[in-house]
Amino acid sequence: MTSTSLTGSSGPPASGSPQIALVDLLDRLLGAGVVLSGDIVIALAGVDLVEVRLRALIRTVRDDDDDEVTA
Amino acid sequence: MSDDPVARFRGLPERIDSDPETVQRDLMRLVLTIIELVRQLMERQALRRLDEGSLTEDQIEALGTGLMHLADAMRELRERYGLSQEDLNLDLGPLGSLLGE
Amino acid sequence: MAERGRYLYAVCRDLDVESLGDLRGLGDRPIESVESHGLVGLVSSVDLDEYGEAGLRRNLEDIDWLESTARGHDAVVQAAAAVVATAPMRLVTIFNDDAGVRRRLAERFDRIHALLDRVEGHEEWSVKVLTRAPDPVAESTVAAGSGAEYLRRRKQDQESRESEMRDAHLVAERVHDALAAFAVASRRLAPQDPRLTGHTGTMVHNAAYLVPRDLSDRFSAAVGEVVAEYREVQLDARGPWPPYSFAMLEEE
Repeated sequence: MTSTSLTGSSGPPASGSPQIALVDLLDRLLGAGVVLSGDIVIALAGVDLVEVRLRALIRTVRDDDDDEVTA
Repeated sequence: MSDDPVARFRGLPERIDSDPETVQRDLMRLVLTIIELVRQLMERQALRRLDEGSLTEDQIEALGTGLMHLADAMRELRERYGLSQEDLNLDLGPLGSLLGE
Repeated sequence: MAERGRYLYAVCRDLDVESLGDLRGLGDRPIESVESHGLVGLVSSVDLDEYGEAGLRRNLEDIDWLESTARGHDAVVQAAAAVVATAPMRLVTIFNDDAGVRRRLAERFDRIHALLDRVEGHEEWSVKVLTRAPDPVAESTVAAGSGAEYLRRRKQDQESRESEMRDAHLVAERVHDALAAFAVASRRLAPQDPRLTGHTGTMVHNAAYLVPRDLSDRFSAAVGEVVAEYREVQLDARGPWPPYSFAMLEEE
């Protein structure tokens, strides 16, 4: 089954790459949108020292707002 | 490794494996990302207050000047560490991408 | 160790496995079939140290492993869907043995037939609508000027971004209505991060359309029309694909 692309976009050229884009495939096969995580482990000289959970940090800030902050 | 953007994109690393030589630069990217987040939230809140009409002229001037200086300072810091605006973007999963809409 | 399991790619109806020719599965593994009352599950044998719970926890974080597995899985689904009605499984659906697969086919018999009835003779098309504005918006450069001017300029930037977004959403609805006319079903999906897709602009619409095969030319023509009519947005339409968004057999 060949895949064609009809696009009026400046996205990545799809002619010559008839396969399904990995992000589209993973969105469907994994059943969840592919997102990038904001968690980081910081190591120094090969020793894990700190794990930063950026989502948790940001939730705290937003909970203090009276109004909804739209992302 | 494929050409696919998903496979190529690394974004914020899952690990920052630093050594004494590079630790400052590595941490600066993380720190600047967080500062940029806070700066944008502050700016949005200021604009919200502007909309509400609850600010005096003096407050508007002071807020605007402060935010302007903060934006300039951030630009300088980014340039110093060779980071683009995009480098400081954070995806917050269900909360959506932070910078831009 | 080296316990084995069966990786289930998809469930088909009335499939003569010979018609798949020399199709291979994940990592060039052979494809086998498990049958139950006319339903055919397509499987490969896998090692559970790679595909068991512990292995998957590790491997699902590895984008290269994920890519290779998704592509291998998709190759089998596409080959099957080209010949018969096919219900794809989610990535990494593993059973201990063929008896387990057969049990699943029997338990979900009615559901599987309903999904296959729905997608037989149909294909999926993906349509995305994006703004043309570069993303994220660069800060207005401020040489000199009062604080109040800065704030008002930022306000203007915000308003024009919001207005563009509203317009783009309206256009997306019109695009959707025009294309849904040729589809028997549609499904909205989450917008995607441009860093993952390589697009510029913000994605305001990401949908899958289930189009009867004999309407696919008219669907394509309709896409061409909306691209020409709504030049203020980017439109990215791809297909035909296997009906992933409409026939996936879910865990209960």
